[in-house]
Amino acid sequence: MRAAAILALCAFPAFANEAEELLLAETGDAEYGEYLASECTSCHQISGAMDGIPPIVGWDEIAFRLTMHHFRNKTREHQAMNVIAARLGDEEIAALSAYFATLNPEDDG
Amino acid sequence: MNINRRLFMGTGAAATVALSAPMVRAAGHGKPRVVVVGGGAGGATAARYIAKDSEGAIDVTLIEPTRTYYTCFFSNLYLGGFKEFDDLGHTYGTLASAYGINVVHDWAVGVDRDARTVSLAGGASVPYDKLILSPGIDFVEGSVPGWDISVQNVMPHAFKAGSQTELLKAQVEAMPEGGLFVMIAPPNPYRCPPGPYERVSMIAHTLSKINPSAKILIADPKEKYSKQGLFEAAWQKYYPGMIERLGPDFGGGNVTVDPSAMTVDIDGEVEQAAVVNVIPAMKAGRIAELAGVTDGNWAPINPEDMSSKADPDIYVLGDAAAQGDMPKSGFAANSQAKVCANAVRGALTESRVFPAKYTNTCWSLVSENDGIKVGASYEPAEGKISSIEGFVSQTGEDAAVRQATYEESEGWYAGITADMFG
Repeated sequence: MRAAAILALCAFPAFANEAEELLLAETGDAEYGEYLASECTSCHQISGAMDGIPPIVGWDEIAFRLTMHHFRNKTREHQAMNVIAARLGDEEIAALSAYFATLNPEDDG
Repeated sequence: MNINRRLFMGTGAAATVALSAPMVRAAGHGKPRVVVVGGGAGGATAARYIAKDSEGAIDVTLIEPTRTYYTCFFSNLYLGGFKEFDDLGHTYGTLASAYGINVVHDWAVGVDRDARTVSLAGGASVPYDKLILSPGIDFVEGSVPGWDISVQNVMPHAFKAGSQTELLKAQVEAMPEGGLFVMIAPPNPYRCPPGPYERVSMIAHTLSKINPSAKILIADPKEKYSKQGLFEAAWQKYYPGMIERLGPDFGGGNVTVDPSAMTVDIDGEVEQAAVVNVIPAMKAGRIAELAGVTDGNWAPINPEDMSSKADPDIYVLGDAAAQGDMPKSGFAANSQAKVCANAVRGALTESRVFPAKYTNTCWSLVSENDGIKVGASYEPAEGKISSIEGFVSQTGEDAAVRQATYEESEGWYAGITADMFG
């Protein structure tokens, strides 16, 4: 993940600030992520199906982490996601990204 | 096999003795057993997560009397004409076939905490190492004088979805022109805080199409209620002049009903009604009381893992639990179930146990494509589940926001029912 993060920072230097750099450098614990993901799957279907709520399985880890970070710091607005992301630390976001990256749409976790 | 952690509580020679006793109890079986009572948002979710994540290491039995479970959440949308009745129904086949859960369609009628068994109405006795109670609600007898369960076919509650919901809808559709619909709203705490008011919105929506001169009267013992400003603004906008609410200041808490005359006495004023929807005061589903884990009307739990304060081998989920700040909702029960499942699995198989985190959102539909919501995040603090941060829809939001909120609720329904039933 660390190598991937550095690559990402090289590729998108304009988007990387110190907070994002630290988040992208975090090692993701997929097992912790699987537990945390159970909060997500009340709304976001594990199958990847979309019925009014976007799918979140099979995402690129970097995109997932930055999206959650932007919900957390409210640069991206959504009432529910801002509240959910607000209590997630870098460790939790990294764990979630590691877990969701292991899933493919239509696989049943 | 996985050896239950409890076996290691003794030391030295005592541990050897301890090892033999549970083996006898589990003879011929070998795996730890979890019994879940109640197949709703709490119980079905807990059963599914324990079975899924333990990958066969735990035997899971789910006891649920109904073959088809009709969700209380979204049942108001059926009253409003936005859902078919069958849209609300879900079966347990996938939990049995894909997750290996032993689904038993029977009523749990007793819990022997010393023997660790659950007795069923059919006569069977089911042993457990951990018992999860998620029985939903029952009604407090006598809370609305004149009403009891024997007259629910005349004055339906429709707060346990199914035939009651169908009956209420049929009654609304059969109202005479200009007739009166009366709702007796429940006192706190109760299942689904915005539920009665979403119901009023949906019934008003139906009446505005088929019987626009009909009236709705709410007798309410509460000073205020969930999303009140949002509901009142919607009623003003969509159903002007149709809905009146009498709070406790106007006798809304002093109500008796007469089902044979179809009248409601509100603080001495007698109203002749076409439909009376009595939503009585609520308490934990009866099995929680029979198990001896209730204190008053509800079952207190430890916020770290949803275990009962009365028995470390019993967990209580959802509406039945006295847990702190979370509303009694399907979303909350589903959230609590996952914390509980993680803890139960850890206790029985030594899998990793992670810190409890809870979430809730309650969406309500007030008119076509006009959804509102309230939600929050929660964590254990001060001995209860405590609110961390919340959000709520605002009055005056534009139509696109409200439509997106409604569409989000549809997505949530698909998500949570997949999370419950597989």
